[in-house]
Amino acid sequence: MSRMSGGKRLIFLAVLLIVILVGLHYSAGNVDRLTPLESALRETLAPVQRLAMVAGREVSGFVSAPARLIKVSRRNQALEERVEELEGKLAQYGEIKEENARLKELLAFKTNLASQLTTEAAAVIGRTPGNWFGSIIINKGAKDGIRRDMTVITPAGLVGRVMRVSDSTAEVLLITDPRSGVGGLVQETRAPGIVEGVAGGRGVLQMVHIPNDLAPDKGHGIITSGFGSVFPKGIPVGTVTEVRRERSGLFKMALVKSAVDFNRLEEVLVITSVNPGGSDNSRGG
Amino acid sequence: MRSLYFLLLVLGALILQVTALHFIVVLGVKPDLVLILVILNGFLRGTREGAFLGFVGGILQDLVSGGYFGMHALTNMFAGYLAGLGEGRLYRDNRVIAAGLSGFCTLGAQLVYYLLLELVGVQVPVLTALVSIIIPLGVYNALVALVIYGWYYRSHQRGMLRGREI
Repeated sequence: MSRMSGGKRLIFLAVLLIVILVGLHYSAGNVDRLTPLESALRETLAPVQRLAMVAGREVSGFVSAPARLIKVSRRNQALEERVEELEGKLAQYGEIKEENARLKELLAFKTNLASQLTTEAAAVIGRTPGNWFGSIIINKGAKDGIRRDMTVITPAGLVGRVMRVSDSTAEVLLITDPRSGVGGLVQETRAPGIVEGVAGGRGVLQMVHIPNDLAPDKGHGIITSGFGSVFPKGIPVGTVTEVRRERSGLFKMALVKSAVDFNRLEEVLVITSVNPGGSDNSRGG
Repeated sequence: MRSLYFLLLVLGALILQVTALHFIVVLGVKPDLVLILVILNGFLRGTREGAFLGFVGGILQDLVSGGYFGMHALTNMFAGYLAGLGEGRLYRDNRVIAAGLSGFCTLGAQLVYYLLLELVGVQVPVLTALVSIIIPLGVYNALVALVIYGWYYRSHQRGMLRGREI
């Protein structure tokens, strides 16, 4: 490199820039697929990532232990009071549970979303290295039956959808990613809208195109609408924290705090099929 | 050989970045170790090597990230070149200067990344980009550079990163 003259270096740099920009333009249309090289690299790095993730978690746990002890002491006191209160309620709950079971059987009423889903549990083994996008890598892939566009959840709510799959890993596009869009529904007002990700890792989402007359209030819940989307209906997405008017003035938009804490994701469930019939088919990971 | 060590260091930083660094997220951002290494290398080695190893390190990052191939290569090349402009002009024994330069070059590189995002059609509001990512990352990278510069500088002077320019 050092033997190149100034002019040649400039031409080399220009050619390099053009090649990269053409490559970038080409790859922009194919981000949903892994190249064989990327796939091989991901397969090779997966065990190392898993190890580093576990080590990182252990170190983080050790370092934050003293602060946690103080918190735990305060929390313990609050919990003891809560336990007393709940013990009283538990007695009432037993009675209500019995009644509920009888009524459900009578009406064949299916309220439990989880019972309608076949899921595959997977561990998070990596995350996107940068700060602009939000994606995670899980330790289940094509050989475990994971396919593109499958929905990924936790018991708390919606995580995202499978974007790319290799043999034993899969990359999940989080709903906080700016490229993500989810058909959403305000639970209380039934207003539809699109939940979009906002760049950055603060777990903030925005729901746009909400009809003015059905605008939600702070604290309202957002669930997936299931309209023309890859996500099944009824999965919790988050809670409204703020409502604004869109720039066009025709619609409202809401800032939404996600139901899932994306900074603490360790295990997720991939929905491999939806069974409106309703038997529990979860598989262990 | 020294370049190979540097790229191994970049690979190690990348593995940390996709795994353990997530546990030190502050205000939604985690430090970009690869970018910091590229900037420090540019600062100590000059524009040519800064840009070249920035480019190669960026390619490695693109391969691990998947998706838009070439974005990290271009931004890291720019960051390495920008940092290289400080070589011979700024006092390299002072870690505060290295940290300031890391923060400044991070801001520049992230602005280039933002423009490339627009090029591939990923829309992020400019205010969100600045407030949620670019500025916090600039500050965070500067702080991390402040901590690791001493070690990196010693390695450049006497350790495995010592040696002639490429």
